[in-house]
Amino acid sequence: MKRISLVLMAAALAAPACSSSGNGGDTTGSGSDMTGSNGDQWDQALNDRVVDYSAALRIAALRLTGDLPTMDEINQVANAPDDASKKTAYESLIDNYMARPAFARQMFYFWRDTFKQGEAADLDTAPAFAAMLSVNNGAYTDLFTASSGNCPTFDEGTGAFTPADCANGGPKAGVLTNPGVMKQFFSNFAFRRVRWVQETFDCVKFPAEVSDTPTNVGGSSPYTGVWPFKSIATTMDKGGTGRVDFQDTSAVICANCHTTINHIAPLFAYYDMNGQYQTNISVPTPLDGAPPAQMTDYLPAGETTAWRYNVPAADISALGADMAQDPAVAECGVARIWNWALGKQDIVDALEEVPSDVIATQVANFQSGGYKMKDLIRAVYTSDDFVKF
Amino acid sequence: MKRFGYTLAILASSVLASACTDDLTPTDTNTPPPGSTSGDQSTTFDHDNSGISPWELLDRLTQEGPPRYTAHVHSCPKVRYRTLGAVLTSLGANPANTTSLSAGDLYTNGFTALGGPNYANRIRENIGITTSGASREFDIFAAAADEVIAAFGDPTSALMQRCPGATLFDATTNACSPSGITCIIGTPATSRHLDYCNLTVTSASDPTVGKRLAVAAMLAAAYTCE
Repeated sequence: MKRISLVLMAAALAAPACSSSGNGGDTTGSGSDMTGSNGDQWDQALNDRVVDYSAALRIAALRLTGDLPTMDEINQVANAPDDASKKTAYESLIDNYMARPAFARQMFYFWRDTFKQGEAADLDTAPAFAAMLSVNNGAYTDLFTASSGNCPTFDEGTGAFTPADCANGGPKAGVLTNPGVMKQFFSNFAFRRVRWVQETFDCVKFPAEVSDTPTNVGGSSPYTGVWPFKSIATTMDKGGTGRVDFQDTSAVICANCHTTINHIAPLFAYYDMNGQYQTNISVPTPLDGAPPAQMTDYLPAGETTAWRYNVPAADISALGADMAQDPAVAECGVARIWNWALGKQDIVDALEEVPSDVIATQVANFQSGGYKMKDLIRAVYTSDDFVKF
Repeated sequence: MKRFGYTLAILASSVLASACTDDLTPTDTNTPPPGSTSGDQSTTFDHDNSGISPWELLDRLTQEGPPRYTAHVHSCPKVRYRTLGAVLTSLGANPANTTSLSAGDLYTNGFTALGGPNYANRIRENIGITTSGASREFDIFAAAADEVIAAFGDPTSALMQRCPGATLFDATTNACSPSGITCIIGTPATSRHLDYCNLTVTSASDPTVGKRLAVAAMLAAAYTCE
């Protein structure tokens, strides 16, 4: 089920139970209208929109170039004799905007915001790499799989990228091994890095894997993960090998999130606080004295690292390959570009959900076209939804 | 997206459940709510439990519509900080002006109020419209009005380079011109824009004040949303 729908359902269930006046259901009265599907007010509002290429041009100019359109550009669209001519003029200007150095700057700033890092040389290489892919019509999947040239620099004055390799050692897998990313999201157990990967590229907070058949594990609520409950570490006094009880059920069901997290985190644990790759696990634990984490803290013997249940990832390159093949990751990439174009806030932080059917065409073309970034951006900025108001 | 919601549903349920009580006095403000993952070594260590409030979400859905509608339509984000600087330049104002209370001064010192990013703390630029951000932006446009009007008279200004031949006010009648309005708002001026502009100019105590007010008001309205 959709996250927002579940919130509404919870409200609908809880609110009447709270009522002492007998009309508590009114608090959710608008919910039925909002979730209906038979031509309600929202469908009508969508149908009432009209194409306005002039309004679309202004927004596109501000997003794609960071500046206003010129009078000549405004007139090219406004003075076109009919809608077909306006569409041609508008799309020609979109192509023009996306060929300018200013577009490179805008993409650089977009990826800074998306990655939540930047404005320092070491923290800017990941946004620069993503921006370079966007400007050069590179493949989105290179963000997870590229083995060289992952740390370019970007000159904001000229809009030029200078390719460079990352110099932090170890394997290379797009931005997943970027030293700036590893530094920015350094934390106990490397869990913050895992959360960054999950929320940035899968567009969903943890728990990332939810079973349709919850399991009673003796807690106040059921375990809802898809992994075996005991596939993550527990403490020695409970028969495990770790120092933290990830199978704890006393407060919350830790395993709901940590079955996924713990199978990914060890892959990011070899990068130290400066993002340098080390041959030993180099992240601390929140235990007294902050001792370094150990593999046995994450997983019991026999368990291996993985992107998802039944999607093993022996190393970080394999993790990147798994992500590149995950349809949810591709859809998340499209949704983020969609939300940027349409002026939404962060898809995760603000729950600016994009239902799959809204971007189905763009996602299908993205996947069949080789995940080309610039093609995707153009497709979004010339979509019906973008030019209708 | 897939699998949206499980944790938020739990959060919502716990918040809603706690909201059922008639006793509104919190018993212990240091105790995390049920389902929270804040804790210590004996429980769950510290987790980031920040997130969108279910109540705020419900309010947003009620006012703005469900995702199957909102995802299709443009939102109204504020103008991004860097973009605002570029827009000021394109309007003929100097965003680097250090004169106290000039548009540039208000812009430069308004980074936080305008929601600029804080990457050191892993916070992206806030593109939501806030009271502080909108207030600061309107102040900037009010301060920029004279610079914008002056730029129309300078063929070398960035504004006139972008909009060659445009005029904002008739030199003798002070009437507003569509070309100037189009230039400053970035989209073709309508008759309503023109009427509003003229009404503002003629209603003011003198034409100079009226022009300043008209420009500031049109900019504030045009750039409430990016």
